[in-house]
Amino acid sequence: MTSSHLFLVQTLAVAQRLLLEQWRQKRGLIFWAVFPSTMMLLFGLVYAHNVSMRAGLDAAAAGILVGAALFFSCLGGTVAVIAAERERGTLPRLLTTPLHPAAYFLGVVIAQLLLALMQVVMLYSIALLIGAKYQGSLVLGGLILLLSVFSYVGMGFFLGARFARRSEEVVVALSAIGVPLLVLGGTFFPLEIMPEGMQAVAQINPMLHMNQAFKGVAAYGMGFHELRFELTFLLAFCGLSLALGIQSYRHLLGGNKSQ
Amino acid sequence: MTTALQMDDVHKWFGSHHVLDGFSLRVEKGDVVGLLGPNGCGKSTVLKIVCKLLDLDAGQVRLMGEPLSELGYHARALVGLCTQHCALYPDLLPGENLHFFARLYGLYDRERQQRVDELMSSFALEQFATTRVSQLSGGWQQRLHLAVSLIHRPKLLVLDEPTAAVDLEARMDLWRFIESLRDSGTTILLTSHHLAEAERLCSRVALMRNGKVVAEGSVPELLARIPGQAVAKVESEDNEAIVQRSIDLGWTVRHGAGQMRLLLPRDLSLLEIIDALKGIKVSAVSVQPVTLEDAYLELVGDSPWMVEPSNLV
Repeated sequence: MTSSHLFLVQTLAVAQRLLLEQWRQKRGLIFWAVFPSTMMLLFGLVYAHNVSMRAGLDAAAAGILVGAALFFSCLGGTVAVIAAERERGTLPRLLTTPLHPAAYFLGVVIAQLLLALMQVVMLYSIALLIGAKYQGSLVLGGLILLLSVFSYVGMGFFLGARFARRSEEVVVALSAIGVPLLVLGGTFFPLEIMPEGMQAVAQINPMLHMNQAFKGVAAYGMGFHELRFELTFLLAFCGLSLALGIQSYRHLLGGNKSQ
Repeated sequence: MTTALQMDDVHKWFGSHHVLDGFSLRVEKGDVVGLLGPNGCGKSTVLKIVCKLLDLDAGQVRLMGEPLSELGYHARALVGLCTQHCALYPDLLPGENLHFFARLYGLYDRERQQRVDELMSSFALEQFATTRVSQLSGGWQQRLHLAVSLIHRPKLLVLDEPTAAVDLEARMDLWRFIESLRDSGTTILLTSHHLAEAERLCSRVALMRNGKVVAEGSVPELLARIPGQAVAKVESEDNEAIVQRSIDLGWTVRHGAGQMRLLLPRDLSLLEIIDALKGIKVSAVSVQPVTLEDAYLELVGDSPWMVEPSNLV
């Protein structure tokens, strides 16, 4: 087996294992689906009920997808994967195999990407059922989704490798970081109604730019040119978060080697 | 080339703590070498270095004749590790765990399936083929753990206290598996706190203290280094008299944990011992041939057993 073939086999083995574990954790899977769906329904029904806000329904789907669904499943899921590997002692076991660190990283990305796609289909099916419309380019939407997933997984590796020692810490850490980011990311309230100071702080929140980019494509049919600022920001953030994630993962592996 | 593992003058520091202080060991192909020593003497550090989980600070390690540092990822395919903590995926089935690790080692589809079937059968895991690992008992989990560490047919199997976390029945089972591996020529390096385990399984034993090997050899060789062929354990209120009588008889006395151990130059019967201690109030006495436990206490020498008679009386 050539090294590139082995790399591919290892990557797919990691991705398949993670998806299988997710599938077996039925209760977790139910909450994984119920949480964003409920949010989508609640937001959607509020918007749909208010004729003057009906246009907001299209936008709500993007915010919930980026904030409530992808954040908790891709970022939270990655942190949970690292914490679980540590807790179960499987991390040192993996280190005794020829598993390439990048294959592990990519395996996690692929698993999270597939889960994210399922959430997109699930949420947009609900959104379309209650009257929302997807207006823009599917390719551009896919690109934003890809950048968001890579960013979240990178951040997940960073937080998981550096901070989350136990599974119980994951929930607390995610709530402490995630909920303020959701608020500042325009998931619950539009940016315009926030105080100026908050608006300024929100500009450095990547979730805001994911939200605005997705909203721009999905709700308003915007193209590459109109979303160039958001896309540039996301690309830069994706690069930064992947660099941080990979560096933290290396630190985690190196840390194991010096203890 | 018959040497599977050779470690020469290996040093490892954790901060200012010198964990391995010139550790040297040679494991020949087909050998089962037991690494014994008190907690914190560096046994696990040795295994972690062999498995490339830790880098050494000085010295040299050769695996299958090649320097470990030059083997890179390839070294990981040569070694299989099984620890006392069952590091498996609890939501997966036994076969799924085996398949996952087989893929990490790059086993092809047909070869992988054959190997998984072979291990499921050898370890009698087929009956639990549809049971998640989390629902298996500790003993069965450890069986699977051992099977996983063999999935890639390692040249060297490293067992870190493999039976420490299982009950007696499961321990006996695992011993039988390890014996069958030994008999099939698998090279094994194991650590254990069960001296009986090492005595039963190992062809050679290395006794460690303070990060280095203090004695090494086959079990009979180590037993030959004890100044006695049998050991009598005596409980008495008059230890001073026991010590004096033993010295008069040419027996070696060791004392610790409220018990006297008399190392006898030949295998005496219980009656002969009682007769020899006539006139001294003895509450309990037993005698048995020397075991690895006696060699350990004698040669590792870091225990309260080693109080000399002069300190005692």
